[in-house]
Amino acid sequence: MVKLIGAVLVIVSGTLFGFYQAAQFANRPKQIRAFILALQRLETEILYGFTPLADALGKIGQQLTDPLKSIFTEAARRLTDHRSSVTAQESWQFAVEEQWKHTAMKQSEKNIIYQFGFTLGTSDRNDQIKHIRLAINQLQHEEAAAQNEQGRYEKMCRSLGLLAGALIVILIY
Amino acid sequence: MKSTTWVSIFPSSIQELLSKLPEPILDRIEEVRVRQERPLELNYAGQFHYVSRRGVLTDVPHEGYRPTREDGNRLLDFITNHSLYTMEEELRKGYITIQGGHRIGLAGRAVLTKGHVDHLRDITSFNIRIAREMQGVGDSIIPYLLDFRHQTVNHTLIVSPPQHGKTTLIRDLARLMSTGQWRHPEAKWKGLKVGVVDERSEIAGCMKGVPSFDVGPRTDVLDGCPKAEGMMMMIRSMSPDVMLVDEIGRPEDAEAIREALHAGIRVIATAHGGELEDVLRRPVLNKLMSDELFQSYVVLRRSGRGMSRRFYDARRRLLHPDGLAMKGGGMDG
Repeated sequence: MVKLIGAVLVIVSGTLFGFYQAAQFANRPKQIRAFILALQRLETEILYGFTPLADALGKIGQQLTDPLKSIFTEAARRLTDHRSSVTAQESWQFAVEEQWKHTAMKQSEKNIIYQFGFTLGTSDRNDQIKHIRLAINQLQHEEAAAQNEQGRYEKMCRSLGLLAGALIVILIY
Repeated sequence: MKSTTWVSIFPSSIQELLSKLPEPILDRIEEVRVRQERPLELNYAGQFHYVSRRGVLTDVPHEGYRPTREDGNRLLDFITNHSLYTMEEELRKGYITIQGGHRIGLAGRAVLTKGHVDHLRDITSFNIRIAREMQGVGDSIIPYLLDFRHQTVNHTLIVSPPQHGKTTLIRDLARLMSTGQWRHPEAKWKGLKVGVVDERSEIAGCMKGVPSFDVGPRTDVLDGCPKAEGMMMMIRSMSPDVMLVDEIGRPEDAEAIREALHAGIRVIATAHGGELEDVLRRPVLNKLMSDELFQSYVVLRRSGRGMSRRFYDARRRLLHPDGLAMKGGGMDG
């Protein structure tokens, strides 16, 4: 009886782990896509709205859902906090570091977004737009790669989890 | 302390040095000059000093603290509110006004488009001019500018060299006229509608359209607007009784002043110059003056002992400082 319950637990946890991995593969391109859209919104705010960075980031953050939301709102919060004198670069990069673990995105996207922080707010509109477009472009490549991976690994992960659970049960039974 | 909130715009390395200075000096600082890799300079009470690495004043340049590239970048980030791209117009003109009405002059490398300055890059020199509200500087001047017959003020030109208190004075005049404090026993009329065309955000120090300084309850400020265009807009839209503008000198400014005159609006303007003769040498102002458009002139001069001022009438005759305005009606035309 105990053995049976144990076997079920192993299979269930194996399956859940498989599903979790699959979800990570499915969420990654979605989040990259959402990030691209957010950057495009930032472009509009800068190009047409002349919106100060803190306001722009806050506004965009409000329209997003977590986990991306907290990257933007956290960066905006640091910029508007008068006691902490941080630059735009520092607050952006800090927010990315802090919130990244909650996303399904990987190191390559992180590098792009982190790099983007170096020029944030420090040049004229044309230059800002160029850097935003560059980041968008790079992210689009990552998105394509992520979609590719999703197609390849998502289903596999799901069945692999169940099968791995079953394998362990068979081996120790 | 409220009067030194401007210190917080500096990167922490410079903030630390400034905070070590004695309070009386900190309260009197007029300019802080930050130049990358060159000693940090302070100007107060007409003198200049460097600030050493230990936070004491020195006159020896090589003892001074030298702001690094990082300091410069951080300062620029703070004063542009982390958004340099919102300051394109300011970068073209070469200065930024920050919260509190402080003005920061910039120098670096100019980027040209079609032969005109498009913006500045590699900004390495900052001149932070601390704006201070000095209520009361206009008290002794306003009685000389009164027009008793029309219960208003004269068309006035205020002349002074840079850094001698022109802007501080017209800010205070705006407040006095707006509240109706004429500082004269016979002047009993109420406050006037005052329009301020504040091209460089210095007079009212507006942040998001709201004045940082007290410019009076009946004062409208057109912030960041080119003077000539601003004056015309004010005339058309805000029906001011008195209009104040800083640093006139271009032909279109004169045009707008004439327009205001014909609309029955009194104008108080300022111009750079040490003496009336200096101003007369500038063609545009010369024309306005020889047409006797201004009814009074005030010439300011600040020395170590304080501020001196002289008054002239429409024909540029020196008025004796006492008694004149007290006669009542003596200042007409």
